[in-house]
Amino acid sequence: MIEASNIRAGYGDGPDILQDISMTASAREIVTILGPNGCGKSTLLKTVAGFVRPRGGAIRINGEGAETVPIHEKVRHYGVGYVPQTDNVFRTMTVTENLLMGARDLSRDTRNERFEALMTQYPTLANKRRRKASALSGGERQILSLARALMAGPRILLLDEPSAGLSPAMMHDVFEAIGRIRDAQDMCILMVEQNAYEALSISDRAYVLSLGKVALTARSADLLNDPAMERLYLGGDPDA
Amino acid sequence: MSDFLIHVSAVACLYGILALALNLQMGLSGLVNFGLIALFGCGTYGAAFAHLWGWPPLAGLALGLVFAALLGLFFARLGDRMSEDYWGIATLSLAEIMRLVFTNEQGLAGGAQGVSGLPVTFAALPADTAALARLALYAALLVVAFVICQRIARSGFGLSLKLMREEPQLARALGYDLARSRRIVMVVSSLMAAVSGFLYAHYLTFVGPEQLMSHETFLIWSMVIIGGIANNWGVVAGAILMQFALAYVPFVKDWFDVPSDFVAATRLIIVGGGILAFLIWRPKGIFPERIGGSHV
Repeated sequence: MIEASNIRAGYGDGPDILQDISMTASAREIVTILGPNGCGKSTLLKTVAGFVRPRGGAIRINGEGAETVPIHEKVRHYGVGYVPQTDNVFRTMTVTENLLMGARDLSRDTRNERFEALMTQYPTLANKRRRKASALSGGERQILSLARALMAGPRILLLDEPSAGLSPAMMHDVFEAIGRIRDAQDMCILMVEQNAYEALSISDRAYVLSLGKVALTARSADLLNDPAMERLYLGGDPDA
Repeated sequence: MSDFLIHVSAVACLYGILALALNLQMGLSGLVNFGLIALFGCGTYGAAFAHLWGWPPLAGLALGLVFAALLGLFFARLGDRMSEDYWGIATLSLAEIMRLVFTNEQGLAGGAQGVSGLPVTFAALPADTAALARLALYAALLVVAFVICQRIARSGFGLSLKLMREEPQLARALGYDLARSRRIVMVVSSLMAAVSGFLYAHYLTFVGPEQLMSHETFLIWSMVIIGGIANNWGVVAGAILMQFALAYVPFVKDWFDVPSDFVAATRLIIVGGGILAFLIWRPKGIFPERIGGSHV
């Protein structure tokens, strides 16, 4: 579904943050992008999404060239859903209104049907449907932003650090929700994460970035059992 | 006194249209335009050029609308390349450039002397009836502008503008084309500002560069901030309130027997102090924006 080849990208006149990165992600698959701070994880996600235009290389979505397509067109044309790391809800709007924002092109019946399905799926949101989003906890906001992305029925979901700033319990709930989405729908999920262990536990494959390049790519299960990976990202003994 | 009230009400209506235009940009869409007066100036100078070239007044209106639409589009294009703060400074700079050009280019609409002798609206009627007819016309146009703004605010397009104001990146991520929304709202509001300017020019029968001073922009800002940002009712109330408050300053001068300089200074204090006081103690204005309401 997503095929990025030899991507170079950066901001303004600055240097290339992404240097010749290639990656793929398919339907019914969760692909995680890992790496230390500043390695270009979020930039890669934003480039795939269309917020950042690549300086070189190609991005193909469903076989079509999409490197110059801006995010708002990718949402409509390719069914991309993007969940940002921060500022991910409309704080002055209620939970219900936030969800409806994700359903702009749907018929009333489909919209109501999806809304009720999401309310059943996420009881936390159902209980607070009339509350302002600003009154929700960090984890609830993350669930809300995820649910809002699902309102449009996306075929590709791009998640930028869904566990950022969450407590361990909340983090578990969010990852469980992401895992369920992959299992229930033929969706391609590309996720940037800092919490390597939790992310690898639910994902199928992973790319580890370092200094704007792909340092390692493997199946998630293999990475979880890789001593080098454990040493670098999962809190293992660095001298082992 | 009656003539005075009609005069103040007439100007309040014209400022009300201008305030509604600013509210579309700043209140609804979060576009911090410090150069609003330039769009108003498109209307005044449209009227001035038509008068100088011997065209009928309505041709001046068309000219002003074309100028305003083009300038509004230009502002919107600048917004594609700049962050909100820099865009605000750029709009202020462009308005100042426009004022300085009209001030210093003698061959362009009279330079600093401006253009006088524009025909007043309803000139054929007796003076008292004409004044009332003008007030009725301006009030009717204010109602039209209000209805347009209300319809925009309640439409799907208005929703996209609010999302652009609240969380632009998130709005893009939900499929909203914010560049297009910005272009449309800038053109619509620029046309409203130009209509206000055109009527103002024919009301005063004079057009000059001092009408484009930046403090005029901040007067309109005070109307929007005091009335209620993003609330069309509040904005109209703010325009009327501020216009009447400023109009009565000269009477205060007479009552307390203070020098004439007091009038100009007090007007600035009312505008600046009003903006500051409301931003500190009541940032949502007298009539706050109503958010929420749509439920499945």
